[in-house]
Amino acid sequence: MDKVVVEVKDFNFRYRQTKRKALKNINFTVKEGSFFCIIGSNGSGKSTLCNALVGLIPHYFVGKVSGDVIIDGVSAAESSIAGLSAKIGLVFQNPFNQLSYTAGSVAEELAYGLGNRGMSREEMIKKVEYVAKLMRIEHIIHKNPLELSGGQVQRVAFGSTFIMEPRILVLDECTTQLDPLGSEEIFDIVKELNQKGITVIMVDHDMERVARCADQIMVLDQGEVVAIDTPQNIFGNPEIAAHKIGIPDFATICRVLKEKGYTDKEIEVREEETIELVKEAMAG
Amino acid sequence: MKIELKGLRHVYPTGDEALKGIDLVIEGTEPVAIIGQNGAGKTTIVKHFNGILRPTSGDVLINGESIGKRSTAKWSKEVGYVFQNPDDQLFLESVRKEFEFGPGQIGMPKQEIQERMEWVSELVGLSDKLDMHPFDLTATEKKFCTIGAIIMMNPGALIFDEPTCGQDVEGNERLRRIIETLKEKGKLCITISHDMKFVVDNFRRAIVMCKGKVLLDGDIETVFSQTEVLKQSFVSPPPITRVAQGAGFSETVFTTEAFMDAFEKYRKG
Amino acid sequence: MAKVTNTFVPKDTVIEHLNPMVKIIGVFSLGLGSLIFPNSYLGFAIVIGLFFVAGAAKLLKDFAKIMFGFGIPITVMLLFIQGCYSPKNVTIIADLGFAKVGLEGVLYALKIVSTLLVFLGAFYIMNKTTYTGKLVAALTGTGMPPKAGYLVLASLNVVPQMQRRMSVIQEAQSARGVETGGGMIARLKAYIPLLGPVVMSSLTDAQERGMTLETRGFGVKGVKQTSYVEVANTKLDKILKTILILFFVIVTVVSLLMRMNII
Repeated sequence: MDKVVVEVKDFNFRYRQTKRKALKNINFTVKEGSFFCIIGSNGSGKSTLCNALVGLIPHYFVGKVSGDVIIDGVSAAESSIAGLSAKIGLVFQNPFNQLSYTAGSVAEELAYGLGNRGMSREEMIKKVEYVAKLMRIEHIIHKNPLELSGGQVQRVAFGSTFIMEPRILVLDECTTQLDPLGSEEIFDIVKELNQKGITVIMVDHDMERVARCADQIMVLDQGEVVAIDTPQNIFGNPEIAAHKIGIPDFATICRVLKEKGYTDKEIEVREEETIELVKEAMAG
Repeated sequence: MKIELKGLRHVYPTGDEALKGIDLVIEGTEPVAIIGQNGAGKTTIVKHFNGILRPTSGDVLINGESIGKRSTAKWSKEVGYVFQNPDDQLFLESVRKEFEFGPGQIGMPKQEIQERMEWVSELVGLSDKLDMHPFDLTATEKKFCTIGAIIMMNPGALIFDEPTCGQDVEGNERLRRIIETLKEKGKLCITISHDMKFVVDNFRRAIVMCKGKVLLDGDIETVFSQTEVLKQSFVSPPPITRVAQGAGFSETVFTTEAFMDAFEKYRKG
Repeated sequence: MAKVTNTFVPKDTVIEHLNPMVKIIGVFSLGLGSLIFPNSYLGFAIVIGLFFVAGAAKLLKDFAKIMFGFGIPITVMLLFIQGCYSPKNVTIIADLGFAKVGLEGVLYALKIVSTLLVFLGAFYIMNKTTYTGKLVAALTGTGMPPKAGYLVLASLNVVPQMQRRMSVIQEAQSARGVETGGGMIARLKAYIPLLGPVVMSSLTDAQERGMTLETRGFGVKGVKQTSYVEVANTKLDKILKTILILFFVIVTVVSLLMRMNII
């Protein structure tokens, strides 16, 4: 389980025609099967980093690059975007732009990437069926993707990335079109996949969710890594808020209880544990 | 400002009944949050407040006047509407022109437009970006540009559809200031949001919608204390409230201070 | 809002089940055939034939509407312009007082009309009876480069998408005091400034889409693209293809002979 599947070494990137580096000296590794979250304010470089992980930088976005991104032993710079798609998949922020615009039905949309790989029709049908079930979109499989609601498109977009069977999934705020229940359903699927051994790298604004899911959290501020640690250590340190990061209510409650001397336990970042801690503190 | 709904029903051409008879009064300057699942009818209901959608049956009264009496363009003086997706709203070549556009359409005097420009751009944080092309703004700035463009028109009521979507800590803080300032200026803000933390931080009244009906309507303490009813609409209270409920406090708390007060009370008792 | 493309509605007809390649070959074979044929007889004969095809595809009413709706005004217009003012006019067949009608111009106008109607009619039938996914699957199957196939489909799908966008943007405009109802002029005034941003945002969307497609393996080298949509190639398809190609060859030969005054 300790195999490193993503390794970013001294990575720098500046978009063409901009002065400021979007990413500065980024160094981190992600282990196989882990749930790795990236947080930071808008413009801190999260999406740029996602693009670098799947090879869109340097193959699609032009700019000044230095350093290495190594995905499962392969250098992203030396591979191609299509080649990397077998190892690492990205679910983008805007699901509408992830549609191929060539599919007349959700089933075709899902199968699109498989077609690019030259897969036989029989195999495609099996895969489409499986993924549609997983994403809970079986009931809309014959609908035109352009006539779906935002939340449905988001599921289709997710499914069409996942169907490529990458061992690493990168999720860039992929639930913006969904309501809380819809997002929870997607995250249940993500967690299920993670438990099956898929490595997940996730960008998200909901700190409670990040705290609940992540094994490791990386904090970005203005293109630089300011911390990589466990959720408890990241949110247990109130100074992290200086990097324009929200702190989950759970961590705040625990910290105040600690400061007032009601508990001497470690700071918790998840709902259930926090409730337990509060109950214990009440009992004295 | 007074918005009154009387037995409002809306049926889409597809036959879906999005609103199933709604009676509601929103009055004064106290900001109101509308919450609920996707498809509950939130956007459908607010699109009736300036006549983008027209009632299938029932009526909407704006300050006592039926919505059917004017076109949406005419209502835009009274009720401003900020769309969820900024790309649907912006179309001019500079932020300044976006800000001037709406007021120009409703015949606001040039002098007044210039005066408003300064404080509105300051309020939405775009003072030094007035000459930029909206296209070159970040997603967050675009959203504030659309908000500014509507505030410029000086309507009595403003509707925000999911303003927190994609915002970070700073963006939420700015939204809080905007809502506060508008209230001080006597404006009525009606906001759709999925972010319960944002709702309890900024609003005293919340309306919970579910399947085309109003499920709950009242002050936030009352609304978020009814966890069983809320479950029908798949809304869950903000995290801090959930912890207090989980720990067995009978108070509905939204802040760390309130949480600690309740905690100390129960600990002593 | 009406949709311009994607008008395919399954009707379970023989025409619908044909291989899309048959229909594409049909459009070109019939259209080009009537174009190179020296006079308009062949074209009009094909148009009559197309009415039967439309009937078989259960499209007769809509087809007739299109053909007459487009055909009559364009015929009148071309007859007038070419008949009265064509420089080729030598033989005068009528005198309208203000202008003389020439035989050569009239024949030329009929020729253009017949060719246009064949292309329009055949294309209309193809479009109405072919599911676009199937069309591209068939094209890709012939070894057409995936990028070309993508262009065809994406551009077919982009129009309804832009229309949808346009209507949302108009809503947003009316909320900013723009009158979108009312007369033609008012509408145009409200419409024109929006074209720029709609096209612009469609372009950026298209760019972003190109990027996302690469992450789905688009453009991977050395792989023959496959499709989820099944395209049957029946015996009937093969026979029809042969007939259509033969038809074109024969028309070409006959036309050549006729032009050289051998026939």
